[in-house]
Amino acid sequence: MNISLNWLKDYIDLDGISLNEILDKLTIIGLEVEEVINQRASFNKIIVGYVKEKGKHPNADKLSVCKVEDGKNVYDVVCGAPNVEKGQKVVFAQIGAIIPNGGFEIRKAKIRGEKSEGMICSESELEISENHDGIMVLDESAQVGQNISEYFGLDDVIIDVAITPNRSDALSHIGIARDLAAVFGKDVKLPKITLIESDESAHNLASIEIENLTDCPRYSGKVVTGVEIKDSPKWMQQRLKNIGLRPINNIVDVTNYVLHEFGQPLHGFDLDTLAEKKIIVKSATKGEKFVTLDSKERELDEDDLMICDGEKSVAIAGVMGGENSEVNPNTKNVLIESAYFRPSAVRKTSKKLGLSTDASYRFERGTDPNITFIAAERAAQLIAETSGGKVAKGVIDVYPQIIPARKVLLRFSRISKILGYEIPKEEVKAIFSDLGMEVNSVSNEEISITVPTSRHDIEREIDLIEEVARIYGYDKIPNVEKVSITLDDKIDQSAFNDNLRQILTGLGFNEIITNSLLSDQIANKFGNGVGILNPQSSEMSFLRTSLIPGALNTLSKNINVKEKDLCLFEMGKVFNKSNEDNIKSFDDFVENEHLIMISTGQIEQNEWYSESRKSDIYDLKGNITSLLKSLKMETKVQIKNTQEENVFFDQYFELRFRKKSLVGTAGKLKKEFCNLLDVKQEVYCAIFDLEELKKIGANEVSFNELLRYPKVERDFAFILDKHIRNEDIIKTAYSQSSNLLKNIKLFDIFESDSLGESKKSLAFELEYYDESRTLEESEVDDDFWKLIEAIKTKFNAELRGK
Amino acid sequence: MQNKIDDIQNHFEKELNLIENSDQLEEFRVKYLGRNGSISELFEEFKSLPKEEKPKYGKTLNVLKNKYQSLFDSKKEEISAKSTVSKSDIDFTLPGRERKLGRTHILTQTMFEIKAFFKNLGFSIHEGPELESDYYNFEALNFPADHPARDMQDTYFVADDFLMRTHTSPVQIRLMKNSKPPIRAIMPGKVYRNEAISAKSYCLFHQVEGLFVDTDVTFAELKGTLVAFAKHFYGKDVKYRFRASYFPFTEPSAEVDVWWQPKGKEGKWLEILGCGMVDPNVLENVGIDSEKYVGYAFGMGVERIALLRYGINDIRLFFDNDNRFLTQF
Repeated sequence: MNISLNWLKDYIDLDGISLNEILDKLTIIGLEVEEVINQRASFNKIIVGYVKEKGKHPNADKLSVCKVEDGKNVYDVVCGAPNVEKGQKVVFAQIGAIIPNGGFEIRKAKIRGEKSEGMICSESELEISENHDGIMVLDESAQVGQNISEYFGLDDVIIDVAITPNRSDALSHIGIARDLAAVFGKDVKLPKITLIESDESAHNLASIEIENLTDCPRYSGKVVTGVEIKDSPKWMQQRLKNIGLRPINNIVDVTNYVLHEFGQPLHGFDLDTLAEKKIIVKSATKGEKFVTLDSKERELDEDDLMICDGEKSVAIAGVMGGENSEVNPNTKNVLIESAYFRPSAVRKTSKKLGLSTDASYRFERGTDPNITFIAAERAAQLIAETSGGKVAKGVIDVYPQIIPARKVLLRFSRISKILGYEIPKEEVKAIFSDLGMEVNSVSNEEISITVPTSRHDIEREIDLIEEVARIYGYDKIPNVEKVSITLDDKIDQSAFNDNLRQILTGLGFNEIITNSLLSDQIANKFGNGVGILNPQSSEMSFLRTSLIPGALNTLSKNINVKEKDLCLFEMGKVFNKSNEDNIKSFDDFVENEHLIMISTGQIEQNEWYSESRKSDIYDLKGNITSLLKSLKMETKVQIKNTQEENVFFDQYFELRFRKKSLVGTAGKLKKEFCNLLDVKQEVYCAIFDLEELKKIGANEVSFNELLRYPKVERDFAFILDKHIRNEDIIKTAYSQSSNLLKNIKLFDIFESDSLGESKKSLAFELEYYDESRTLEESEVDDDFWKLIEAIKTKFNAELRGK
Repeated sequence: MQNKIDDIQNHFEKELNLIENSDQLEEFRVKYLGRNGSISELFEEFKSLPKEEKPKYGKTLNVLKNKYQSLFDSKKEEISAKSTVSKSDIDFTLPGRERKLGRTHILTQTMFEIKAFFKNLGFSIHEGPELESDYYNFEALNFPADHPARDMQDTYFVADDFLMRTHTSPVQIRLMKNSKPPIRAIMPGKVYRNEAISAKSYCLFHQVEGLFVDTDVTFAELKGTLVAFAKHFYGKDVKYRFRASYFPFTEPSAEVDVWWQPKGKEGKWLEILGCGMVDPNVLENVGIDSEKYVGYAFGMGVERIALLRYGINDIRLFFDNDNRFLTQF
């Protein structure tokens, strides 16, 4: 909300207080200053100039060279506008000025060879209007040398204040003045309303009736007759313009002016358009169509409150007036509406229609029901002053059930309990008085406050404590230097994932965090997606059902910028519907936490000591094994490749806890999915269900005696058929050996034509020992040779020479 | 066979002792231990021995081989130790053999640091769902339906009463409902806002909220705790201010700004977190006696902290995951 400093000063004396101090205090007490426009500063060095001479530019037909006076000196200025003439008073931007539109600085220059010491400006360059047809020519009355901000009356400071939703009372100049008054210990000066009323009673000219008192507890109307519709006075226009409003005519401008003065939204009806000169406040009929002031047709129903005349609807209560009763150039008699509507009723209608106005914004936050009368009189006064009309006697005020000011009790002990600091009772009392609240009684224990009806946010003791703290100043409440620690058991629910992160980075994976919102097509390709009802775009209209698309998308973007060798991981939630119903409970969807490991490109780079190598399925498997070992889960989780087809992976394998619950799936991602996100490289990927993984729990560790006897090592290599798998040999090795064989490890695979087609050589290392004694070489040999024979026979293998 | 064994036994050690450099060593290795060296030959011959002789020689050969291999290895070590002393053939300007290490995301790193700070102060860490019900995200937190406070947080709805959480505060509600004071915890996690994506805003971000409920929690303690946090993150001389604000779930409420002075630029106040005393309505909503217990709560955006600290100018960079970005931190 924009506040004009000049306007604000009508209600509070701010002399001797610097602008910065005002801005700081506003922010500190919760009226956050978001932006400040100091108009004078933005027109620095832009003044009224006088064109003393105009001559032709020697080198350019369309340019002229003018001599411009600033009251002291004469400058040469090259000008391109066709309308510049000798004897004009113009806007002259001097050297060093910053042009508001575009923000460029005026410097001494040569234009097509001619010296130029400034610029003659157009309206658009000053951001006064869109008009850029030539330069702006000023009135004769302009004083040469005067700063242009004075000429335009643009000597204000505009403060954009962000008002939090609880502070509807601060949505006006007087509202802001009230808070500042409390902070600076000043009084609020309300405008003096001096009404000269005619003998004719308003009650004879119009009548008001409220059918729906719940949604409209009060409706006040004031009548002004014999008005002449014209522009409002310059000063009023200027104030409205300064806070960003467009002046329209004297009636509309006055209603806007009073809105921003008191915070009470008003509406002016052309009284002669109201059938039976009557206002009836009632609910709309279902399906009713109504054309609002913005010329749009709106459809309403029983929940919407309408302002009607004897025959028809004339306004949507609290939101916007109708075209049919709008003040127009021929309007003679005006009825000013000044009402109080129930906040949630206005909000409902405004939300439903998608129509938010200055009025609805205030009504839905809560206006002061007890200010309608004064606001109506204030508006009548200003209308009479600006339109030559006569104010009819009295206010037609329908207010059967007076909304009283609340009384709230505050215990002093509670202030220190909440704040941890004792504020002297006298100061507490003074703060409430300064805020314009009535102190009913004070005892040693408590204070009773009457809260003005403008303060919808103050209902409870805690609300009063906030007021005390806010005005007293948060900075004056000392910071505690010492805190106690409770000895309850501490939990870290993020510890498991954080440990995983450390392991994965140790394995060379970089962590990514991708958008959880995807397109319908992608989300449903990877799962059964949950849709967003109000998405920003179709690209982000579903929750992710899998971590794969986000990771693939990351690969794709990186590959595009030549980052082709990637090992990445992400941990995050994925969301799937558990049935086809609309979501009505937590059972209708599943939110799971997943981990994805994904790699593509070279896993080893060309180095002086090694050759580059592409990432493959064995890298993936190895990384998963390392991960499981780090988690101490390697014996509980089995890695198996099944013959089953998998939707997402070729070279598919899966991880199962005790051969049962599925913990993860992995493999080479199918081309179809890579193509979907434009990845042309081979991609290896594993997905873990983190909840399942967490459940497994680490192996319990117990100490094993260190081996006290030597190990005996043997190795062998066999040439055998290609289809024979590592595991076949290992299984046979254990089954054909005594329990002296403790380890067997494949250490070389060799394939070559010299071995014969469909043959390969596998070399193994074996480790024999006994925990209780030193082995004889001979007993190992017996075991070893027996094993070799067994393998030879079983696999038709040939022992390779050493 | 036995002759050959004797021959090797006679010469092996003598020859080995004479060796002085790595060339000679290699020559020696080929002669005895190489693929076609004399020891390998023995093993070849062994294959064709009659069956009954095998056990006898098998053992001898293995002992022999192991013994000579280890003698050779010691010599090799001796020779190589000699050559390193000379240092002549080592180029220390060559890059070392590096192990490739990954990195956690900069937001994770920032989160780690925030978590560590509060853990040291005795806070637990709790997490909760991202797809929440209206009750946990709004209603229980004192955002009445049809109240303009709901406009403060643009919300993604997936159903009438289900939405993407707009803050991690629902975890506070879950925690308070399921435990008894004292409750001291932080809640890190992803939150969603239905805002157009730009350099300044994204549809999701990470938050860390904190909650402390006990009989003697005060605003002064909240201030002290958060000032300690600000000093930890922004330096012990950090200039800060607490200003009044509004959140439906706290009262009094405050926002904390720190003075930000980038080199060569104009300084300004930057908001780093919101906080306040837990509103009695919220305590009552979860069944905690608000007369006996008092609580404080605070919340901060992780992205914002990282943006400030590292001078990152576009929030989208966090979620683009450009490897050139990821590997900078």
